[in-house]
Amino acid sequence: MSRISVPTTARLPSSSRVNPSSPIVTKTLGRLSRSSLISVALDWLDEDNLSLATPYLRPDQEDDDDEDDGDFYPPASSPKELREEYLSLQTRKGSKREILDRIITGDWRHGVSLYQLAIADLQYLYDHPTSQKWTAYKIVPLKSPTEDGNGEVQPPEIDKTSLCIPRFHPSLFLKSLQAQILPDIKAHYNLDRHKTLPLLILRIFVVDSPYNTPLSLSSSAGNIDTGSKTILIAFPDGSPTIFISKPTSTGPAGASESKSLRALLVEGIPKALSLPRQRVTLQSTSLTTRNLEELLERRGGTRGNAAGGGWSIYADEKVKESPLSTVLPSPPLSDAAEEEVEGNGDKKRKRLTVEERVTKRARLVAQARFGETGRVGDGKGVERVDLVMEDVFKRVGSTGNNTDKMDIDGEDEGDVDNSEHWRPSVRLTFHGSHVFAGIRQLVECGIIDGESMPGWMTGEEGVTIGAVRNGRIRGHKGAGL
Amino acid sequence: MSSPPPPTLDDEISALQSKITTLKSTIALQTSTLLTAPSTLSLLSSDPKLTSQSHLHTSHLQQTLYRICATLTLFRARDPDPNAVDSGSILGLRIEVVSRGKFLRPYYVLFNRPWTPSSFSSSLPPAQKKWLRVHRHTVPACIPLAGLAARYLPAPDKDKKGRKQDLGKFARGVRREVVRYHARLGTVADLRKAAGLGRRGGNGNGNGIGLVDISPADAEVRHISVEWEDGRTGRLVIGDDGEVLKVVVVGENGRDREGAKDLLGGLGCQPGTVKVEEVVKRLANLGSGA
Repeated sequence: MSRISVPTTARLPSSSRVNPSSPIVTKTLGRLSRSSLISVALDWLDEDNLSLATPYLRPDQEDDDDEDDGDFYPPASSPKELREEYLSLQTRKGSKREILDRIITGDWRHGVSLYQLAIADLQYLYDHPTSQKWTAYKIVPLKSPTEDGNGEVQPPEIDKTSLCIPRFHPSLFLKSLQAQILPDIKAHYNLDRHKTLPLLILRIFVVDSPYNTPLSLSSSAGNIDTGSKTILIAFPDGSPTIFISKPTSTGPAGASESKSLRALLVEGIPKALSLPRQRVTLQSTSLTTRNLEELLERRGGTRGNAAGGGWSIYADEKVKESPLSTVLPSPPLSDAAEEEVEGNGDKKRKRLTVEERVTKRARLVAQARFGETGRVGDGKGVERVDLVMEDVFKRVGSTGNNTDKMDIDGEDEGDVDNSEHWRPSVRLTFHGSHVFAGIRQLVECGIIDGESMPGWMTGEEGVTIGAVRNGRIRGHKGAGL
Repeated sequence: MSSPPPPTLDDEISALQSKITTLKSTIALQTSTLLTAPSTLSLLSSDPKLTSQSHLHTSHLQQTLYRICATLTLFRARDPDPNAVDSGSILGLRIEVVSRGKFLRPYYVLFNRPWTPSSFSSSLPPAQKKWLRVHRHTVPACIPLAGLAARYLPAPDKDKKGRKQDLGKFARGVRREVVRYHARLGTVADLRKAAGLGRRGGNGNGNGIGLVDISPADAEVRHISVEWEDGRTGRLVIGDDGEVLKVVVVGENGRDREGAKDLLGGLGCQPGTVKVEEVVKRLANLGSGA
C-alpha cells in the first residue's frame, strides 16, 4: 500500500479492502440470509479464492492468552480451522446477526475485499433471481466510417448485410472497457459464470474517486446507496446479445448521477466490444424483464429466439422429425397426436356435452396460438408489457383499458378503411407475474376468443414495449431480424 | 440364497405398456410400408378409403425422400394471427442438418409476403409485391440470418430498380452456415473425445496428453480455447472449411511457439494448411500411444 495517493487509470484490484464498518459492506452483506452468508463465507475461504479474501488470522509468534481476552471473536489460526468453524455454524441454528457480526467484527475485521463484496452481491442475485431488471441489447456490426464531401467523418451506419457475428472475449473486453471509462472514476470488475444458467455475469462496481487507495474506497463507497453504483452485465452463451441490468433502487438524490454513470458505461460497452476494423453497436431489442430465463429463451442461443407463441412448435427440440422415418406423422392438435401425449389410448370415447366441447375447443385453440409457451409454471414470464395502439378507430367497439381482462374481439381486420382517420391514443399495460400465461388462461376459460385474438397477445414477438398498427406490432424487432 | 424379488404389479404394467408402444409403432411402420409398396397399390384400387390412405403415405414418402436428398424443402403454413399480412399465407423453408450420423430437428425459416395488399404499396411494381420477408425462424442466433436476408431478400425499394430477391441463394447460404456451425460443434466434441476429456463440466483425466479443457470460445464456435495442465492456454481459429487459420499458445513466459507447433503435430504452422480433423487424429494417436 503506497503512502501517497496518486491518481491512476488502472482498475481497482480485487484484493483492495473496504473498511467493514462502511455502509456498503453492511448493506451488501446485510441483505443476505443466514444460510447464504455462511455459504458466501465458505466460498471466500475456498483454496482458490483465499488470496483475494484473506481472513484476519492470529499471528503465529504471538502468545495465545495475550490479547484475546477481550475479543469476542478470537481470530482463528488457519483458514482451515475457520472453514470448519463456519461448517459447524451451518448445522447450528442461530440468527443472521450473529454471522454478520462475526464477519464484520471478527474474521474480516481488517477489511472486506472488493472481491468478497462481488461474491456476496452475486449470491443475492442467486437468492433473488428477480431482483434485477434486465434489458436485452443486440450487438450489431457497423460499417466502417465514411467521409462525406467536406472531408468530415460521418458516424458509421449499421451494416445490415454483414455476415460477421460479433465475438466476445472477456479479458480483452475488460481491458478496453477500462480504457473507455473516464480517469476520475474507478471501477472494480468481477466476472463469474452463473450457477445454473448459461450466462457470464460481469459485475461493475464504480467508485467516484481517481485514487485507488483504501481511504478513497471507504469514503466514497460510504455515501451513496449500492444499487446505483453496481451494474451487472450478462453475456449469454452462443448469442450476440447482452443483458444490462437497470438500477432498481435509486433515491431522488442519486438518480441523475447514477443515470449518467450508467449511460457512460453503456456507451463504453459497444466500444469495448469492438475490434480493430470491426466496429459494433448496441441495438435495443425492446425486451425488458426481471426474468433471466425468459431473456435466455428469447435472446439466447436457442431456437426460440424468433419463434414465440404458437410458432414454438417449430422450435421444440423434443419433437422427433427425422426424414428417415416413413411413418405418417399425425398432425398437431389432432386426436391421434393427443392420444400420444396422454399416453394410454383410452379408446372408449365419451359423448361430450356441449359445454365440454366448448372448453375442449378453447383449450385446443389456446394450444394452437401459444404452443408450449405461456404456461403458468414454466418460469419464463415477463411481468410488464407496454403497448401503444396506433390503429384507426373504425366503429364503436369495445376497447377495454388497463386490465388483464380485456375484450378486443371487435378489432378491425384487414386493411385500413379510409372513411375516417381518427387514431385514438390508447396505451395498454399488462401487469402480472407472467403476463402471457394469464392471457392464455383467459383463452382457455373462453373469456378471450382465441381465434380472433390478435397475434401480439400471444407474446410471440418477444417484446415488452411496442406499438401496434394494423393489428400487428410494428417493426418486428423481436423477430430476430 | 437370495432370489430376485418377484416382479410387482407396477413393473408388469409398465412392461406391458412399453410393449404396447413398440407394437403400435411396428403396426404404423408396417402399415406405411404395405401401403406404399407398388404391389399393394394394384390390389387397393377397389377401396376408395384405402386408396386415399395410400396416397397420403406415398406423398409422405416422397416428402421424406426430398428431405433426405435435397435437405432444403419448402412447405406451406398458415399464420393463426387474424391480422396477419397476406391473409396468413406462410411459406416455410425446412433445412435438414446431419450431425454425428443423425438427422437433427430441422431448422425452419418462415416467410410471409407483407407487400401483397394493394393499399400499402400501390406504387410498387407488381413483381415486387410478391416479394418475401423472413417472418419467423428457428435458426440459432449465431447464424448471420439477418445479413443473408439483407443480401438475398431485400425489401422492395422504388429507387433501386435492379435489385432482385433470390430465395435459392438465401436458402443455400443459410444451410451452408448452419452445416458449418454444426460441423464445428462436432469437431470440438471430437477434439474433447480425442483428448480424453469427458462431457463439458466433468473433469477428464487428460489421457496423458496434458490437456485439461477444450471448449468453444465464441458464439460461432470459430475459436476453440485449449488449456493444458501446466497452465498454458491456447487458441485455435477455424476457417470456413475446417482449416486451422491461426494457432496461438501462451505460457507463463509469453508465447509458446513450440507448443503451437506441437499441437498441430509439426504439420507446419502455415495458416490454412492444417485441417482441424488432422489435429483430432493426432490427439487420438497421442492418447492411445501414451
